[in-house]
Amino acid sequence: MTLSVEMTPPPFDPELGAALPAIAAMIPAALTADLIPALRAGGPLGSPTDDELRRDGRFTIEERAVPGLDGDPDISLLILRPTAATGTLGCVYFTHGGGMILGDNRTGVLEALDWAEEFGLVVVSVEYRLAPETPHPGPVDDCYAGLVWTADHAGELGFEPGRMIVAGGSAGGGLAAALALRARDEGGPALAGQMLIYPMLDDRNDTYSCRQMAGRGIWDTTANDTGWTALLGAARGGPDVSPYAAPARATDLSNLPPAFIDVGSAETFRDEDVAYANRIWQAGGHAELHVWPGAFHGFDATVPQAGISQEARAARVRWLHRLLDV
Amino acid sequence: MKDLAVRLAALDADAGAALRVIAYFDSLVESRAGLQSIVRGAAVLADCPARLSDDERRVRIRVTAAGVNAWRDDPPAPDWMTTAAGTATLWLERAGSPGPVEAMILERAAGAARAVLDRTRGRAPAADPASAELIVDASAPAEVRRQAARRLGLTDPAYAIALPAETRVRSGPLPKLPGRAGIGPAAPILGLPASWAAAKVALRFAAEGTDEDPGPRVVHAEELGALALLAELGDQSDAPDVKALDHTAAAAPWMLTTLHTMAASISLRAAATTLRLHHSTLQDRITHAEHLLGWNVRTPQGRLRLQLALALRRLHRHP
Repeated sequence: MTLSVEMTPPPFDPELGAALPAIAAMIPAALTADLIPALRAGGPLGSPTDDELRRDGRFTIEERAVPGLDGDPDISLLILRPTAATGTLGCVYFTHGGGMILGDNRTGVLEALDWAEEFGLVVVSVEYRLAPETPHPGPVDDCYAGLVWTADHAGELGFEPGRMIVAGGSAGGGLAAALALRARDEGGPALAGQMLIYPMLDDRNDTYSCRQMAGRGIWDTTANDTGWTALLGAARGGPDVSPYAAPARATDLSNLPPAFIDVGSAETFRDEDVAYANRIWQAGGHAELHVWPGAFHGFDATVPQAGISQEARAARVRWLHRLLDV
Repeated sequence: MKDLAVRLAALDADAGAALRVIAYFDSLVESRAGLQSIVRGAAVLADCPARLSDDERRVRIRVTAAGVNAWRDDPPAPDWMTTAAGTATLWLERAGSPGPVEAMILERAAGAARAVLDRTRGRAPAADPASAELIVDASAPAEVRRQAARRLGLTDPAYAIALPAETRVRSGPLPKLPGRAGIGPAAPILGLPASWAAAKVALRFAAEGTDEDPGPRVVHAEELGALALLAELGDQSDAPDVKALDHTAAAAPWMLTTLHTMAASISLRAAATTLRLHHSTLQDRITHAEHLLGWNVRTPQGRLRLQLALALRRLHRHP
């Protein structure tokens, strides 16, 4: 992609901009495929320990192997159940982030545990196979198989099927959006909501924000190309990409569960995420969109202390209140 | 991409840490970050709560190590790491003397905060003299005085400050003062006229802190004790001991400072240290002074007589 004119990016939020050099030292904006092994080994995504997941005994941990889709290998679900919850439990089915190429079912799950404590939720996080070793549709098939199994076992897991949502950030946000589409199309589990945190939705990687943020912030257009090419190979950006791989490709966004979408104004995904919310509204659906000014990709996870990060996380909790306090 | 395990708090005490602190606050200043962001930066980088307080401009910010705003009314502990940021004060809520990284955080955060305060709050607001004078006027109706206190943001207890040409009232810690000042005792809002009366007396005991007029620039009324009664006497410039003191002072420029320091120190050795004199030099000077004064200032009685003479002289200078 050639830039014919110099594009002016939105300024970073002051606190996020001050923290960015420390983050960029761990993960370059322009992530290329040759860096995947080092990033997987170095673990910049971090992984919570059993103790962090148990939260002083307030949750039990179970790793459950369940069948994959149509003869695929078994997949592992991390099931975190509140021990002292009273009343009717719900469930958050969590798809982790990592650009389709990194992470595991513990990545980013601590925020879902926060919600679980506040709202009485069982957390189920799926260990889907990663690209490039497993290209599409392997990853999303794993996620969908886990979702169907979880809904089918609501009684055993102890939650009310009508209080189940899907949630995820980045690639996990894209997967959560894909699950909502697929559940609608295949008559799968009825979902109460979809929490799409700066979701990775569009394999075409050619929006204005993709070009504007090239080389800047976190997960720029080069990194995005790395992730999508790992998942789709030569099909990336072509005419035949499934909406279950790239939900921005869906032509029909009607009859979806209520969506929460947030994104930073200073990141690659800004335009595709704003467009997705807009298309849900145009289709007569329910969506709540937050664009956090000057925020780069993953800001609330990498700089949780920043004022804008606290606001972004609080906005998710407020949406859950509107969704679940019934 | 989520969950990069970036812990800015994990800065260790190497040279790189200090550079990262500098770069962090430079970046905040460059992007015109607000006070909240600056105090939060100090708290997160130091991994302990930080607070910024500027009573003149009514700024109070406290942020925990997790970056959460959480003001607390309890006063700062005396052993917390602290520095001035213009008229404001910045604290890290950690006891002890700051290590190199903490010192750098304090310096850079204070510099950034000061720039924001000057840019966004202008100069520290001039005290509202009309309101302050109403509050200390016992003849003004109580409700009028209460309203004036609210205008100034005063809370119970408060106290009056008498300056040579100005009256101030305030709550909370004593601000930096421009020169001579008398501080009244803490009182409820409606008791401030009495606090002011005591502050005015204390002001007469406050010195310029020069060779001509040595002594403390700031005097607290509560610490005067019975000495305050001297202020009720009329002009005492003709008192023999005051005249003897003036006569002695004319002998050498160091004389009054030497006598004041000697009278205010617990020992001659301590006085010599304060004056940066050799012990025997001080002994010689005092012998010289005693000869001119006409009494021995090294006995308890002579020392009290000297203290009273110095106090009377100061009262005469500051009527």
